[in-house]
Amino acid sequence: MILIQLGMYFALLSLLTFGGLGPVLPEMQRYIVDVKGWTTPGDFMQLFAVAQTAPGPNVLVTSLIGYRVAGVAGSVVALLALCLPAAAIAWVVSGLWERFRESPRRCVIQRALAPLLVGLMFAAGYTIATPHAPDWRLWLIALATATGMLTTRLNTLYLLAGGAVLGGILL
Amino acid sequence: MSRLDSIDPTPPRTLWELFLGFLSIGARSFGGVLPAAHSIMVEKRRWLTPADFTEVCALCQILPGPNIGNASIVLGKRWFGLRGAIVAFLGLFALPYLWVLTLAVLYTHWVVFPRVSAVVTGAGAAGAGLFIATAVKLGRPIAGKPAAVALIAACFILVAIARVSLVIVMPIALTVGILFSSRGKL
Repeated sequence: MILIQLGMYFALLSLLTFGGLGPVLPEMQRYIVDVKGWTTPGDFMQLFAVAQTAPGPNVLVTSLIGYRVAGVAGSVVALLALCLPAAAIAWVVSGLWERFRESPRRCVIQRALAPLLVGLMFAAGYTIATPHAPDWRLWLIALATATGMLTTRLNTLYLLAGGAVLGGILL
Repeated sequence: MSRLDSIDPTPPRTLWELFLGFLSIGARSFGGVLPAAHSIMVEKRRWLTPADFTEVCALCQILPGPNIGNASIVLGKRWFGLRGAIVAFLGLFALPYLWVLTLAVLYTHWVVFPRVSAVVTGAGAAGAGLFIATAVKLGRPIAGKPAAVALIAACFILVAIARVSLVIVMPIALTVGILFSSRGKL
């Protein structure tokens, strides 16, 4: 039962995932934590952190959430549900792409998506850094990391490691 | 045009080669899949020309779903049909999936220690910072347009503060965005 709910939900989310996983993370957290109570906000944040340190597409955080909710079966169901509906669309559209790529409608959609994704990325940053009541220490780590990414060319793994060290000291 | 554009690409000849290529993309993509995908498919194995690669990326960016996952479907289909799409997809996710699951099992055992929990939480906050930085980077070019700023603010407030479901926000925001965009306001 829980597997079906998980699969249906992630399949729906699959169609809303534009520009990587970041923009849908707040929604995922809302459903998994607030609506279903399958895990706590703090745990959700930590699962996200664990997934960040792994190689590969960042959608793998879905398999961690699936694992937490329903074990190994949950991890497979969540990952496949998030990927397959979108994959089916990619399968169909790739045949039409030659005609669509010069179309003015493509530009209209791209321009329409840009501000949405920016707003949702900010929302993801805020949601992940504020699992409970606002905590200045988490915000400090987030802002320091953001500044690091914007002003240096460090690999993001070093920035994550920096955040982990700061977490060890501050929290 | 770069040097690689002038060399004829050689698509993978066997499903096994396709699988291995995507396996190494998955395994090597620490901190971003795109650089690894480019290095393996364009530079090392020469499956695609740089222009071709850019084209596939552009397609996958406006499709829903994980970009590189979509790319594995599109390219697998182009070279080997349905079998190719399945093989490329499995190759891409096999190693990262096992890795992440192993980490999850370890994490479940270790999280009881407060120090471990603090370190992991710190990394999570840092990940949040990466999203904020990405938002700033993507937002800079459109920050001068009032319609764009209004949409950015609306999406942030609705999703982060008011906690409205994306299932409601996305269709509405996309409709408004397309209206603005087709009138040249974005």
